[in-house]
Amino acid sequence: MTNDRVSQVAADAQASAAPREKKVSLGWIRSASVVAGVALLFIVFSVLTSSFYAPSNLLDILLQSSINAMIAVGMTLVVMARGIDLSVGSVVGLTSMITASLLPQNFLLGIVAGIVLGVLCGLINGILIAKLKLPDFIVTLGMLSIYRGAALIFTDGKPIYGIDATFRAIFAGDVGGIPTPVILALAIALLAFLVVRYTAFGEQIIAVGGNEEAARLAGINIDRVKICVYAISGLLATFAGFVLIGRIGAAEPIGGAGFELQAIGAAVIGGASLFGGEGNPLGALVGALTLGAMQNGLTLLNVPSFWQLVATGVVVIVAVFADQVTRKRR
Amino acid sequence: MQIPNAETPSKPLLQLRGIAKAFAGVQALKGVDFDLRAGEVHALMGENGAGKSTLMKILFGVQPPDSGTIELDGVGEVAIDDPRHALALGIGLVSQEPSLVPQLDVAQNIFLGQTEALGVVPRSQFQARAREILKPLAPRLPVTARVGSLGMAERQVVEIARTLARGGKIIGFDEPTSSLTPAERDGLFALIRQLKSSGKGIIYISHRIPEVYAISDRVTVLRDGRVVASRATQEVSADELINMIAGRRLAEELQHSAKPVVRAGGTEALRLEGISAAGKLHDINLTLRTGEIFGLAGLVGSGRTELARCIFGADRKDAGSVYVNGKPLDLRQPADAKAAGIALIPEDRRKQALVPNMDVERNFGLANFQQYSPSGFLRLKQRRQDIERYIEEMAIRPRRAGVRIRNLSGGNQQKVVIARWLQSGARIFLFDEPTRGIDVGAKFEIHELMRRLAKDGCALLVISSELPEILALCDRVGVMRGGRLVQTIDDCSDLTEDLLMKYASGEVTRS
Ligand SMILES: Nc1ncnc2c1ncn2[C@@H]1O[C@H](COP(=O)(O)OP(=O)(O)OP(=O)(O)O)[C@@H](O)[C@H]1O
Ligand SMILES: [Mg+2]
Repeated sequence: MTNDRVSQVAADAQASAAPREKKVSLGWIRSASVVAGVALLFIVFSVLTSSFYAPSNLLDILLQSSINAMIAVGMTLVVMARGIDLSVGSVVGLTSMITASLLPQNFLLGIVAGIVLGVLCGLINGILIAKLKLPDFIVTLGMLSIYRGAALIFTDGKPIYGIDATFRAIFAGDVGGIPTPVILALAIALLAFLVVRYTAFGEQIIAVGGNEEAARLAGINIDRVKICVYAISGLLATFAGFVLIGRIGAAEPIGGAGFELQAIGAAVIGGASLFGGEGNPLGALVGALTLGAMQNGLTLLNVPSFWQLVATGVVVIVAVFADQVTRKRR
Repeated sequence: MQIPNAETPSKPLLQLRGIAKAFAGVQALKGVDFDLRAGEVHALMGENGAGKSTLMKILFGVQPPDSGTIELDGVGEVAIDDPRHALALGIGLVSQEPSLVPQLDVAQNIFLGQTEALGVVPRSQFQARAREILKPLAPRLPVTARVGSLGMAERQVVEIARTLARGGKIIGFDEPTSSLTPAERDGLFALIRQLKSSGKGIIYISHRIPEVYAISDRVTVLRDGRVVASRATQEVSADELINMIAGRRLAEELQHSAKPVVRAGGTEALRLEGISAAGKLHDINLTLRTGEIFGLAGLVGSGRTELARCIFGADRKDAGSVYVNGKPLDLRQPADAKAAGIALIPEDRRKQALVPNMDVERNFGLANFQQYSPSGFLRLKQRRQDIERYIEEMAIRPRRAGVRIRNLSGGNQQKVVIARWLQSGARIFLFDEPTRGIDVGAKFEIHELMRRLAKDGCALLVISSELPEILALCDRVGVMRGGRLVQTIDDCSDLTEDLLMKYASGEVTRS
């Protein structure tokens, strides 16, 4: 027998495209491993630090994760429709700048303008992808740059200080000891979950992501579905921006930089498949919490933030890898 | 030609013993014995889901068996752990679902993974070899065409050529003709006879009984993962064969379902005027009446699928108009066609009709959101009731609405797709290869369903490469060639397969 058949591997990867089936459902293994991973994380940090398990710190983790959770819910919907949105971080920056600048003049206008702009950013993404059939990766990567550039141009790169107190109370206050961002994130995720489960739109997202051609031939308006998920993603990024400036008390044009990776990571850890057609908005919550807990624990251990970036990247890549392995094989 | 007698006890090339295989919840094979001799074609038949493809995948090392042994002549017992190993042992498989790389061209696909055999051979040289291999099958298929742009039949041909290019002593063909027209099928049969006379062993899987008689020496029938019988083909009658495949009841029904009485066409349902699409369709005029089944025959690439897709708004037309119930309609996308009461049951179920990860109920609902969620929220209870009714009426198996559709057999998947469109209230049905890859039993049921639709006053356009299907089902027949409707036959009483073939190939131009 020859062992010089390396090149044949490619062919056989093809031939075995309908590959070996595991007897235990891979989906189940996956969920179990996410839960196990989170548990391990909590145990390790609780052992290594004295403060990790303190209720105040746990609340802190929730609070810190809530921004990512909101974006990740939108990202989950996009990914379920077999898309990707790399522009979310820039949308956070742009919309929060606009809102921060308008708040002093007119409270309501500030909020509405931010929301409208966020949805508009998403619509532009969606229209370019659905109508012009441009690749989602390139469009949103380009928009990542454009929206960020717009935010920087808007105030010539300067931050805006002094966010309205009422605004801060709404988006970064608390109700009975529970931070409003946490409530907001939970509500958003729950709503998205209900949409996915019980509405026509939710099923259409799964259908478009699961088999776009079949969805189209069943008479589903696939362009509309795609445009809508990107618009929702823009909207949720805007809310995340509101929380961000509410917490900081200032808006920076570079606010939200790098959020896209965190959101994709949370979505994938939470069970969204980059192959489309699968995902769970509630899972995105779990994913965001996982990343949040890890970053919090590393901070407590005095790991420099540069290394936290490395750790986050590793976790996200591992999660995507796990997704590849478990989903592709069937 | 010398046909080796099935009884000759020549040493088998291949001997499978007691092969068993279970998937989550399904025992696909329950101890199957199967052997293959040099120079014979051994047909493998059985209902959808009987386990034929699973047996082939085990032989080809795609899946390991749970138990059982594989013995090869001159090698002894082997555990084939991956396709690479199988190829090295001289086993080739034309799989049921072509696994080609859409981005590469035909020649590249044919020699994918064999570059070391070719060294740094210039492109033109292996293109020439590809052309040579394709010659008996599809002489006009350009070897530089991107596979992604090809239709199902052409992809199937490439898959066959790829397996042949790799050589081997044992070659399995898993429903190789399901998308082929008679001309290509004949080319394939000639090839198989050649392989046979050079002493190779061929396993031939098909749902088509005439093909099995035409090509095989022995036939083995599987049912529910067990061997029902293994006989010399010439010794079994077609009736017996159907009995073995589907059980007694069906054989009788099949015998007694003769050609339907010619229905007098009702009122005009669909009229096409001057439909053209660049390079694909030229000036198609056609009228479809309520209560009739209109068949479309033609060779691969003659434009039949293209026509159906144009009518449905799935592809763009450049000129011409579509009238539904006498009213001109502008159908730009499938959603418009659906709204006009048109349904398309596409040729490639897996790629074009199903969302494999969704369950039966949701797949059923895909074209029916208007009904089940006028407010946006789904009326799940209503939908569940409806699909359960269809499951009963159409005998969809398994009986559960919550199973993922990819776990259903081809015939059952097709029934779900039809149920989807029945529920949508469509009155005009475009069926593209409605029984491709579907077993005799389910095929019979689907034919019955189509006849019932016609009786209820729907208009049916049926594309089929299987001429007996057209003859058995249709009231009127059109023949397409090179993107034109070259012939319309209103009285099918003395239409034959032969004549249809001649129209399709252009040998005869006027009746
Ligand atoms: N990967 C899989 N996972 C789960 N079940 C499977 C898998 N592959 C096959 N099965 C099941 O095993 C049984 C046998 O399937 P198989 O594909 O071998 O049937 P077949 O005889 O080739 O049918 P067909 O005529 O439709 O091609 C079926 O019940 C099928 O649903
Ligand atoms: Mg099969």
